[in-house]
Amino acid sequence: MIWVETLINGALLGGLYGLLGIGLALVFGVMRVVNIAHGEFMVLSAFCAVLLSNLFPQVSPLLMLIPVIALSFAVGWLYQAAIVNRVVTSPDPLSPLLLTFGVSVILRNVMVEIFGADVRSLQVGELSRASLEIAGLNIGIMPLLTLVLAALLFMALQLVLRHTEFGRIVRATADRRDIVRLSGVKPDRVYNYVMGLSLALGAIGGVLLAVRSSFTPFSGAERLLIAFEVVVLGGLGSFWGALLGGIALGMAQLIGLKIDPNAGLLYAHLLFFIMLLIRPSGLVSSRV
Amino acid sequence: MTPMPTRTILLACAIVLVAVIAGAPFVLNEGILRLATECLLLLTMAQMWNLLAGYAGLVSLGHQVFIAFGAYALFLTSGWLEVTPIWVLPVAPLVAAAVAAIIAFPLFRLRDAYFSIAMWVFAEIIGAFTMKSQAVGGTSGVPLATSKLIDFDWFEPTMFWLAGGLTLVTIAALYKMMTSSFGLGLMSVRDNDLAAMSVGVDVRHNRFIAFVLSAAGCGLAGALSFMGNLFIAPLAAFDVNWSVYMMFIAIIGGIGTLEGPILGVIIFFGLREVMTGPLGLSGGWYLVGLGIIAVVVMIVAPRGIWPALRDRLGVRLLDVHRAAPRPAAAAILPGASERVTG
Repeated sequence: MIWVETLINGALLGGLYGLLGIGLALVFGVMRVVNIAHGEFMVLSAFCAVLLSNLFPQVSPLLMLIPVIALSFAVGWLYQAAIVNRVVTSPDPLSPLLLTFGVSVILRNVMVEIFGADVRSLQVGELSRASLEIAGLNIGIMPLLTLVLAALLFMALQLVLRHTEFGRIVRATADRRDIVRLSGVKPDRVYNYVMGLSLALGAIGGVLLAVRSSFTPFSGAERLLIAFEVVVLGGLGSFWGALLGGIALGMAQLIGLKIDPNAGLLYAHLLFFIMLLIRPSGLVSSRV
Repeated sequence: MTPMPTRTILLACAIVLVAVIAGAPFVLNEGILRLATECLLLLTMAQMWNLLAGYAGLVSLGHQVFIAFGAYALFLTSGWLEVTPIWVLPVAPLVAAAVAAIIAFPLFRLRDAYFSIAMWVFAEIIGAFTMKSQAVGGTSGVPLATSKLIDFDWFEPTMFWLAGGLTLVTIAALYKMMTSSFGLGLMSVRDNDLAAMSVGVDVRHNRFIAFVLSAAGCGLAGALSFMGNLFIAPLAAFDVNWSVYMMFIAIIGGIGTLEGPILGVIIFFGLREVMTGPLGLSGGWYLVGLGIIAVVVMIVAPRGIWPALRDRLGVRLLDVHRAAPRPAAAAILPGASERVTG
């Protein structure tokens, strides 16, 4: 019974991990750039949420998501416009990688200097401890809400990309950045919106993860690695695959922690590495 | 310009450098000597990272794993055999190279960013296992068991000589390698792997060799670095900042050039001494400053500072760029189109 509970909790955590990965997958899918600074931006959004909830203690920290998402969108827009767009068309595929890595180092150390290296977390009070009892299984409400939110966001993103004009423009830009110009689309501007959207999704994941577990300015690397593993496990470019990959990683992590309480992310990393050996194409190898 | 005079100049430079390195410990005080040793070791690591990224086109964000493997191999073997650590130094590059040769098989299926991050994940996995394993000291690390065998009167000078020797040998070997057919093959793969394959360059093989060599060099430099501290702990050995330093040094100076990392290491340590010394800023702000320089360099001069300077000044030092064959030389030497001028 305890194992079933662990598996279910792992799946719920996986919804959150899927959210971490989806922003990274979106940027990669549209502009073929792996944004190494994604994890640091997530931690930054968590710090923003903590600051805001310290300023307005009477407001529920979960409502802080709204300003933090808006802020993250703006930051992503500016980040893309000011920095990433300058190398996105570089013939050398290493340039965006090195550049975003440089940005991640800057962000991490700025956060260390401003916020200190202490462990922080976002307190949501009763909600974090509330749980449901279903058939003898104890399931936390917060993780359940997170998974539902993740599934809704995935569905919304899919609908937007499939059926709206914005979605069609984004997909067209992803396919042929040079040809869309003929229809009056400015690829760089599309990229700005996509990066904004990516960081907004990352902010949701970052804030919710900060509710679940504590963080420091150094947590960005950990979050990036999870996000990346989710994307690769799920199969490149597959949104539902990312959710599945997240669930697999969440389960691996919690089962690992059950066997070995101070394992941290070791078992999630191991699952990723083994899957890389067996199925380099990912769990789901389809494209959206 | 014929290759001969250049070679003579380089040889003269090498002799002068050897003399400087041999004499430096008798002139410099211990603090400066330690700093110089650190500089030289980081230069070697940056050259090794640059060999992989700048020439083989593989950016590794997990190169700290080879530094850790080399250092731990040295500490453990020296403890088991109970001999002075210097005599077991060759173990470090061998272990790092062996590890690289094994993990190359799964990792080489991945390209670009996927390779980079998978390397990082690999480093994290090994780091986590090291922290769990009491046999290698767990999270608290291990001191160098045979430190009592070290002659401390000559310890700092010896470390400096080893680091200096390693740096000179590394640069000379890289120069030699890049002007050989292997180096040409490597650079052709970096520039266009499809075209390189079509003329018969074995892409996988070249990348593999570069990867293993790069790991071996980092293993040796890492072993020397931790030997100087007489102590190793996993948080320091598996620190991703090793990769950050190697990368920033190579990028700022000029990725894919031999001179670039030399210039990069000067900027790296110059900035550190200025920012953390007279300006009194913390290590964090120093990394921020370095990161900003790296990002600005990547946007303004994506090839790095050295190539931009070289083009403006017309100076060529350890240039391994391909030059168009001169008609006369081509007539005399068959296969001269493959020649590389120094």
